[in-house]
Formats: sequence, C-alpha cells, structure tokens
Amino acid sequence: MPGTGRAGPVPGQPAQSVAAGDTSPDHRRFGSRLHSAFSRSASPAGRGGPRRRPWVGLLFVAPMLLLFLVFRFLPVVGAFLLSLTDYRLSGKWDFIALDNYTRLLSDSVFHQALLVTVTYTVIFVPLTVLLSLGTAVLLHQVVWKRGFFRGVFFLPYVTSIVLAAVIWKWIYDAQDGLLNAVLGLVDIGPIDFLTQSGTVLPSIAVTSAWKGFGYSMLILLAGLQAVPKSYLEAAMIDGAGTWQRFRYVTLPQLRPVLFFVLVIETIGAFQVFDAMYVMTGGGPVRSSYSLVYFLYDSGFKYFDFGYASAIGLVLFLIVLIVSLVQRRLVGRDD
Amino acid sequence: MVNMLERPPVRAVRETKAVGRRTAARLTLPTLLTLTAIVTIVPFAAMVMVAFAPPSGRTFPDALNPANFTLDNFSRVLSSSDIPRWTVNSLLYSLVSVVCVLLFASMAGYAFAKKKFPGREIMFWAFLATLMVPFQATLIPSYILVSRFDWVDSYWGLIVPTLANSQAVFLMRQFIMQLPDELFEAAEIDGASEWRIFTTIVVPLIRPVLATLGIFVFLWHWNDFLWPLVIGQSGKMQTLTVGLATLQTQAVPINQVMAGATITVVPSLLVFGLLQRYLTDSIAMSGLKA
Repeated sequence: MPGTGRAGPVPGQPAQSVAAGDTSPDHRRFGSRLHSAFSRSASPAGRGGPRRRPWVGLLFVAPMLLLFLVFRFLPVVGAFLLSLTDYRLSGKWDFIALDNYTRLLSDSVFHQALLVTVTYTVIFVPLTVLLSLGTAVLLHQVVWKRGFFRGVFFLPYVTSIVLAAVIWKWIYDAQDGLLNAVLGLVDIGPIDFLTQSGTVLPSIAVTSAWKGFGYSMLILLAGLQAVPKSYLEAAMIDGAGTWQRFRYVTLPQLRPVLFFVLVIETIGAFQVFDAMYVMTGGGPVRSSYSLVYFLYDSGFKYFDFGYASAIGLVLFLIVLIVSLVQRRLVGRDD
Repeated sequence: MVNMLERPPVRAVRETKAVGRRTAARLTLPTLLTLTAIVTIVPFAAMVMVAFAPPSGRTFPDALNPANFTLDNFSRVLSSSDIPRWTVNSLLYSLVSVVCVLLFASMAGYAFAKKKFPGREIMFWAFLATLMVPFQATLIPSYILVSRFDWVDSYWGLIVPTLANSQAVFLMRQFIMQLPDELFEAAEIDGASEWRIFTTIVVPLIRPVLATLGIFVFLWHWNDFLWPLVIGQSGKMQTLTVGLATLQTQAVPINQVMAGATITVVPSLLVFGLLQRYLTDSIAMSGLKA
C-alpha cells in the first residue's frame, strides 16, 4: 500500500520538529473552541450549529473511516495476533504464544537478514544524507539556474525504485555495463558488482541513494534557506571563514532538519526490498537478503503467515525505536 | 597576536586572498553542481540510448551512435510482453486511487477540521497512530483479508485496501483547519445543505492542496511495487512496475528491457515536467513523502 505508513513517522512531524509551527493540537483546539463559542452566540439559535448534528460529521468521515478500520486498523491488530499463531495457507491455525519469536531468535536466516539490513542501513544512510546535504548546500550557494538543477536532482525521485534497480543492474553488469565500460577506459575491472558479497550492498545503496536523495535534498534546502542571514553576517563580521560559518552557524541551525532527514532515511533503509528483489534476488548467497525480503519469502514462498507476521512486528519495533530515539534527541535539544 | 603596525597590510592581503578565493568559488561550485547534475542524469540518458540502440551487438559503443537508432526494441517488447495491459492496470490503479483518496480524504479532513461529533479525537489519533506502522509489517494480514474477500488477483484487491490513506486525511485536516469558520456558518444560515457546503465552498478552497495530494497519490501508486506484486498474481493483473521487474528476470534482451523501462517512466516524467514546482514546493512545506 503506497504512502500509507511506508515513511513510518507521522507526516506532520516535519511540521512539528522542522518548521515548529503552530500545529500544537491543544493550541488549535483552544483557538477553535474560543472561536466557535464566539460565533455561536452571534448566530441565530434556531438553525442549529454543527454541534447539534453530530451525524453530519460522522457521515463525512464514514467512507474513510470504514476503509481505515477494515484495511489499516484490522491488519495492525491482525499482524500482532497472527504472530502468535502458526496460521497456514489452508487457514488452519493453532495458538502457539511466542513460539514464532523464539524461533526467530535461533533462526540463522533471520540473523543474516538482520545483519544485511543493518549493514545496508549503515552504508545507505550516511551516503544519502551526505549526498542530499552536499547538493542542498551547492544549490543554496549557487544561484545560477537553481530551478533547473533542483529539478535535475529531484528527477530520479519521481520514478520507481524498480526502474532505478533495472537501470543500475545493467550499469553494474560485468560484460555490457556502463560502469565497467568506463572503468575499462582506465584499465580497471571488469568488476562484477552484484555477484560479490563485498560489493553488492554498497552497489544497491548507491542505487537507492541515487533514486531518493532528491527528497532529503529539498527538505535540507528549505532548512538552509531558513537559517537567518543576520547570524551568518554576524559571524562574518567576527571573522569566521566559510567553513567556520558552515560548521558553527549553519549546521547547528540545521540540526532538527538533519535529524528529521536521518530518521526518514533510516526508517526507509530498514524497509529495503524492491531494489534487492530486482537487482540480486537476495544473493549472492543471501548477502543482500533483507528483513522485508525474509518476510516476503516466509509469507509468499513458504506460506508461513504466522512467522512472517512476527518478522513484520520486529520491523515495526525497529522503526518505532528509531522514531522514539529521534524524538528524544531532538526534544532534548530544543 | 598581530602587531598594530602590521595590521593594515595583513588585512589588505587577506582581502585580496578573499577576493581570489571568491572568484575561485564562483567557478568551482557551479562546476561541481554541473558535474553532479550530469552524473545524476547519466543513468536516464543511458537507459534511453540503450532502448534506441540496435538489438544486436554490444550495447557499447553501438548505443552511442545516433545513426544506428531504431524503434525495433520498442515494437518487440510491446508485442512480446503484456505492456499495454500492464499500462492499463497501472493507470486504473493510479487514477481510481487518486479520485477516491482525494474525495474520501477531503471529506474526512473536513469533518475532523470543522465538525464536532462523538469520538472525533480518538478517531483522529487512531488514524495518526497507524502511520507509525510500516506497511510491510501488515502485509500478511492485509493479504489474508483480501483473500478472505476473494479479491486476490482482482482490481478490488489491488485498489480498495490502498485507499485507506491516513496521510492524506491528516494533510487535508491541517489545510481545512486554516479556513475561517464564518464561511461555513454563513452558508449554513443561508440554508445550504451540508453536501452543498462541501462541494461549493470547501472543495474550491482546497483546490491547491487537492492538486498537490493528487500528484503524490498518483506517484505512490504508479511506482508502487510490493502490494501489486503480492496481489496481481496472474500476468494479466500485473502493473507496469511488477511487469518490468518480471521482464528482466526472463531472458529478454537488455535493449528491450530498457525500452520497457522507458515506457514506464513516461507518465512520471509528464507529471514531473508539468508540475515540478508544485511538487518541490509542497515537499519543502509539508514534508510529504512519496
């Protein structure tokens, strides 16, 4: 299901932790209550305000609420319950308590998938954050054709990760690939990037970073543009050089935005699947076999639905912890 | 510490240095920017070139020679695979979802923003809470549910579960909350029905956010992979992304795969070309993630 929960954290989060606007619900509720109290006394009592017809609001919510209850809420509860059963394709199941989880703990494939996912995340997150920060700083510094360049960097983002994977799989190809053709010009290679356990994860990480860095770049660019000019001018008058201004003025100002980007990218990295499915099929010998790949195989190759749900809950826990840690870190700062 | 007497020359030197550095920077940064942009664009350019390159022989250097450009790969991949059918599936999946999500999310957003009804707060926070759960974590129960409805391998199964989009509801609510209450109250006093208020007052006012959200919902669905992969089990029900992925696992020549890839990217590029500014501005403002 696209969009729904793929990004993990609440989309309002940038509004809260980044823009820190007036999104505090208490403030809003207070404001609107004050407002409606005022207008209610001014409007004729006979027609009846929105307060007196609660079914109107319910009717407007109803279609989405129904969809939401059946296709979001039920599956969330279902995932938890399923993970406590040995639900199979036939629909037969027994309650097995935490057996799926103890099985996970001793399953070497799970260990491998977890290791692959963490390794991938450790490679991908710094790569993509540096890439998006670098391009954002460049765009911020250079006024020349800014809209054009911004568009170019954002272009891969509107395409699918499957498309990126298909293109890059060919780029990495040992016989015909673009990269090896270029490396061949300086007498390197050919290197079979996707069939060696040492290069496969970095290669996939580069593909995903290329596909997605435009998003974080835009967020960071907005953050850079929000740094008050007067701070930078004051630092300049005090004799701070370009690097010092960036290090001691811009970066601290950018911290909340950077944190947001870090978390978004980390959560995304833990959910990696599409690129691996298309580029390597998890190989060679499971060196690019991620958690979601393991979940997919458990569910749709071995039809071990209970076990697959348990993997899903582990994924959820990881995502939750990442978001909570971020909230802690940002909260402590402000 | 610098001696008082030495100070003026030092400052002068520093200034000329700074000017020099500034000119250097004036050239370095745009160069760096251009190089990065070229590297970003190369994979697309290569894709298109290989798609138009002659099907026989090595991709390089043949792909670089415009004299050899041919449409063979396109006609072959179109006739040998189900690309037209996949395109219809992708369009249905994306467009039906856009219409439904925009309608249902704006209705719900309006109610959450401007109506009072029992359970409103709890419902809203429940909507938000599920955003924390990654979709993959609920993939299995969602699939079981769809199979219980007998919706596997059907448009119903493909589309309906993806309409429950809390992110869209949240965005709509945030936007509609900013509209002044007087607008609705005035219409109510004039005796307009609730539905009429919604269609003639709310919808025109939220047109910009509808456009933005529409673009995002389109891209989410057009580029989606895991759900169509799981639900569209027969070849007939595959979307373009899934079809593209299966194309390249079969023994289809790379030129034809790239021709197929070029076809799948056209709608995204159209959306991008027409609405780039919309898209980039809204990300900067709302953090909406496709």
